[in-house]
Amino acid sequence: MNTILQLVISGLLIGSIYALMSMGLTLIFGVLRVVNFAHGEFLMIAMYGAWAFSRLLGVNPYFAAVAVVPAMFLFGALVYRLVIGSAIDKPHLVVVFATMGLSIFLQNFALMTMTADLRDVPPIFPHSISIGHIYIKGELLLGFVVTLCCTAALQWTIKRTFLGKAIRATVQDGEAAKLMGIAVPRIFLIAFAAGSALVGLAACVMVPLFSVFPTVGLNFVLIAFVIVVLGGMGSIEGALLGGFCVGVVQSVSAYYVAPAFGQLFFFVLFLLVMIFRPNGLLGQKGAATLGMNE
Amino acid sequence: MKAMPAKPDGWRISGLPARGRISWFELVLFAICVAWVALGLAPTLQDVVVLSFLFAGLALAWNIAGGCAGLISFGHAAFFGIGAYASTILSQSCNVTPWLGIFAGAFAAAVAGAVLALICARLKGPFFILSSLAFAEVVRIIALNWSDVTGGAEGLSIPPVPNLANMVLGSKTAYEALMLVYLAAAYVLTRWLEASRLGFYLFAVRDNDEAAAAAGINPLVVRTAAMALSAALTGAGGTLFAQYFLYLDPTYVISPELSFQFALLPAVGGLGTAIGPILGSFLITPLSELLRSNLGNAAAGLHLVIYGFGLIVLMLYFPSGIAGALEKLRQRRPRP
Amino acid sequence: MSGLKRTCIVLASLLFAATQLPAQADDNNIRIGVLLPLTGPLAKNGLENWEAMQIARDMINERGGINGRKIEYLQGDANTPNAAISETERLITKDGIKITTGSFASPIAIAVSQAAERHGVFHWETTGAAEIITRRGFKHTFQVGAPARKYGEAAIDFIVNDLAKRLNKPVNALKIALLWENRAFGKSVGDGIRTYTKGKGIALAFDEGYDQTSTDMTPIVQKLKDVGPDIVIAISFPNDATLFQRKAKDLDFNVAAFIGVSAGYSSPDLRAAIGDSVNGIFVADFPPKVNAAVLAPETRKVAEEFYKRYEAKMKRPPAGHATAGFSAIWALFTDVLPKAKTFEPDELRDIALKLDLPAGSLVNGSGIKFTNLDWPDDPKDAGQNLRASIGVWQWTKTGNEEVYPPELATHQPVMVPLPEWSKR
Repeated sequence: MNTILQLVISGLLIGSIYALMSMGLTLIFGVLRVVNFAHGEFLMIAMYGAWAFSRLLGVNPYFAAVAVVPAMFLFGALVYRLVIGSAIDKPHLVVVFATMGLSIFLQNFALMTMTADLRDVPPIFPHSISIGHIYIKGELLLGFVVTLCCTAALQWTIKRTFLGKAIRATVQDGEAAKLMGIAVPRIFLIAFAAGSALVGLAACVMVPLFSVFPTVGLNFVLIAFVIVVLGGMGSIEGALLGGFCVGVVQSVSAYYVAPAFGQLFFFVLFLLVMIFRPNGLLGQKGAATLGMNE
Repeated sequence: MKAMPAKPDGWRISGLPARGRISWFELVLFAICVAWVALGLAPTLQDVVVLSFLFAGLALAWNIAGGCAGLISFGHAAFFGIGAYASTILSQSCNVTPWLGIFAGAFAAAVAGAVLALICARLKGPFFILSSLAFAEVVRIIALNWSDVTGGAEGLSIPPVPNLANMVLGSKTAYEALMLVYLAAAYVLTRWLEASRLGFYLFAVRDNDEAAAAAGINPLVVRTAAMALSAALTGAGGTLFAQYFLYLDPTYVISPELSFQFALLPAVGGLGTAIGPILGSFLITPLSELLRSNLGNAAAGLHLVIYGFGLIVLMLYFPSGIAGALEKLRQRRPRP
Repeated sequence: MSGLKRTCIVLASLLFAATQLPAQADDNNIRIGVLLPLTGPLAKNGLENWEAMQIARDMINERGGINGRKIEYLQGDANTPNAAISETERLITKDGIKITTGSFASPIAIAVSQAAERHGVFHWETTGAAEIITRRGFKHTFQVGAPARKYGEAAIDFIVNDLAKRLNKPVNALKIALLWENRAFGKSVGDGIRTYTKGKGIALAFDEGYDQTSTDMTPIVQKLKDVGPDIVIAISFPNDATLFQRKAKDLDFNVAAFIGVSAGYSSPDLRAAIGDSVNGIFVADFPPKVNAAVLAPETRKVAEEFYKRYEAKMKRPPAGHATAGFSAIWALFTDVLPKAKTFEPDELRDIALKLDLPAGSLVNGSGIKFTNLDWPDDPKDAGQNLRASIGVWQWTKTGNEEVYPPELATHQPVMVPLPEWSKR
């Protein structure tokens, strides 16, 4: 009883971190309809940024968010201008491979400048919180709270602000949005940059939990993709739900079956969802089979 | 590219590549390849040539699903691995020569391809891409952990003793020839497909599957056939790969990186065309090999930084691939 | 059209950059191909190995080289097994290399030696541990570092001959858990431990592989907690070792002794990652520094110079595998190459097979004696170094101290049983 409770709680907590890391991706997917294969490398760069900020100023990496999030916003805008923007109206494979090239470039640029050494920050909370026999890691709990707040903030922005309305309009029908006077290219830029900024926030939460090295993105990028599609492209709540699913499935399956199978179970879960609910758990109906408006 | 494929009018050969007809460009290119192998040119670059030919064939194989049928798959490394492992396991455990094992591998891969298509073929765009990726990862993890059959993480080693009966060739030139045969077979298959009824259905389903369904074509059947064919050809390439490298390691042989490579080469060269994947391989394979060999010592990672940058530039300036650029060139010429 | 022109110029310059000819080499040099993973997920340890190899080359060249000829390295970035094969082939066919070395990781080592053997090239494997490296009947591949099973044997021997007494329990009453990362090295060592314990009649309380790229260690730690072992033997790489240790602390998973095996647990980054909690952890690996009394005086001087140079360059002491890489290549430079006249692979093979160096001859305490289809445990084995030493050392407040076997030890084991997390 104790064990399963620990597994589920840990799964939800780590799942929330996965969800936070995937929110930027789902925003980009939802608005721009492009697959950013450099997502893992955006995370890696942001993590290096958070680590450096934390080390240089001697503060804990959560404070780094004030610098990293805007920096990642600008970085995202820059990447959009240079790479994505000109490819947006071309066949979507162009963006896929251009971002793959970007991924290789960033990984090895990091290797050249930062070397392959693992970078870490000291733990923030000296002990886990223990409730009975259940242990809850402070950094994970904080990440969970940040994720929930972030989800709520994003929801509010999408539903209540004009920018949010413009984004929703663009998601529903880009052509019609243009006709309504929405500067769609500007929305794309903002969405991409915002997605990038969200990755920056996730990085600040992740640096106390994971070591940073040039290929760290590789361990997370597939998880992010699965969560985004599982939850439904463009759906923020979907990403949260997807993250929880992945976290718990990973946790429980590794315990009851075999840790060697690693990601097998959530890939199988993913494929099952694709067969039975191809739009993802909370996605736009018909998105998967009718295609997004291309 | 949205028009119906032209029926080959007689056997008129055009100047530059076009769909549905052979062009001088391709004939000359083929002749150059044959001459290259026969004359044993550039003996120090033979490894690069072998890989260029092999990957050109693999790119053509991917193209059948990705370019012709519109099924952009990032999971083809699974079929590649199934083919490679099947023939190697048959050879090591049951003494079946790889010359026969290659067909068994291709068949096994075709079955896997059909399964993937049946599960996922109605998914579009990024949904299909990620499903195929998930599928390949499932295959990889199984291969990694099923040690009794696949050797697990330590992989399978084929003894490097030249033995024609077991498809272990003695010279690089022989391998060049073998891969060229594979490439030619893949090319002929693609051309045949373009001109055939199945090909016609494929293009129709790719371009507008609702209209195709309304016209009486069953998209699922067509897509499954295309995926099975593509997988079979990829699996055959896997066997050839195994017989060349003589070592199979599941982490690298069934990796997303390899899947990306199979998709990248046709994308750079020109999707959906017969010449595109070949051009893509002939450009990218030597480029990445030469970059690594010449700059790999300069500073760790430099060759990949340049490769990544080059890739971005290539994709942005050649969105329809090299074949697309050639097509534009062809259209500028005055028609007779 | 201008876009096309621009692209052509960019591509042309890329191709030009790619085909740049290397600087003209001095023909009198002895050229050795070095294949290591310099990019990709294995880059960290690959680069450390490369550093160690370069120091060896510099040191030997400063001493006049081999009979007046200097050593020259030609590098290959072997970041995947297929790249390893391509790079090895390139060095052999294009640059005419007859001697290769490398490769840090087992899958790379398997691939490089395969490619080398195909061309009859002499391959001097420094650290790759997979057993299969020497079981393929190759004539020119020599594995100087220890094969995988020795790592496990060192850990088990340490438990049987030392820890059991310190914990006041007979070996059969100890609950031993085995956790292995499921790639080539982890699996190889895990298999070795399983066979060895079975042979000694010891039952393992827990025996599980795990995915090395896992991002969440909770289920694994929880599973271990539920078993409640006295001793855990874990084979991990740096990233997963850090994650495991942190999670063990979070979930308050305590053991009497923790033995990490190689790569992950011997990396200096571990201390940077988990701080003082690292003290007390044992590591079965190449010795970082051996009891200097065991080394011949000349070797001792060489060892000290190596440590000094490495620390000056990398700002931290060498990890075990880097020292092993240096040891192995230094042995090549001082015990094999000076006896060669033609430097042909067959000649080098004969010299290697005749080597009979006792323990303590190499910088890391190993000796050299290669099998040649004459090993009673496996007559198909050729090229394995039976005198490669793997011992157990321990992270302590003062540094890394070798604790087992006693002949090589610089220190007694401390902190047995391991204090709980709250006290470390």
